[in-house]
Amino acid sequence: MSQRNERSTQPEFNGTTQWLIHHAARRTPSCLSARLEEEWLADLESRSSPASRLRFAVGCCWATIVIVNDHSRGRAVAPSPAPATKGFITLADGNFGYFSLRSGTLFLILGLQAAVFCGLIATLAHARGQVTTPRDIGMTADIRAVP
Amino acid sequence: MGKKEASVRMSLQTLRVLEAFLENPTEQLAGAEVHQRCGIASGTLYPILLRLESAGWFVSQWECIDPSTAGRPRRRLYRLTSMGLRRASEVFASFNRGILA
Repeated sequence: MSQRNERSTQPEFNGTTQWLIHHAARRTPSCLSARLEEEWLADLESRSSPASRLRFAVGCCWATIVIVNDHSRGRAVAPSPAPATKGFITLADGNFGYFSLRSGTLFLILGLQAAVFCGLIATLAHARGQVTTPRDIGMTADIRAVP
Repeated sequence: MGKKEASVRMSLQTLRVLEAFLENPTEQLAGAEVHQRCGIASGTLYPILLRLESAGWFVSQWECIDPSTAGRPRRRLYRLTSMGLRRASEVFASFNRGILA
């Protein structure tokens, strides 16, 4: 039953992944657009499972953003290209250091989540400190003392 | 894409891609094969391949097959250039020196 459902959704799923790749490739620079679409669709064929195909297609959407970013940076420095020093190995460029764009985004999200978490902990600790004041504790002790 | 010798940002993923090509420098690999060897996601892999190609480390060409006969579309194959091989070897040599120092 589940196999039959999987088979029936397969063409629709393939259509979705191909649509994603088509739109991702269309957003790349015009000189690369057709080539990347054909290349990505060909490499998509090597993926068998639907999840793997979807991951690949979503990855291509991300690749588009990086390629457009690289391309625009390349065009921006094109008028005055810096000659590469022979034998010198650049380990990092000025924009992202040792991290790729993806890693940078991941660290940014993790940092924001950690900041929100720390803020919540600090707020809760502060609120708890306000609720249980020494005066309240004394009143509680008085109530307990009454027979 | 210019073929002049240019510097390339060396991320861990770039090193893994270069390592896959250095296993057999004359071999031509498609993006899907590089993914299978390195396990790098497509979102990272293709920008790296394009950067290395634009820097002149790689050349790429379409696979010489008839799609109707092969039953699949032709793939884009990447290969290390002589300059790419030299520079990649330099990169790994410098890393080895750094580790041993």
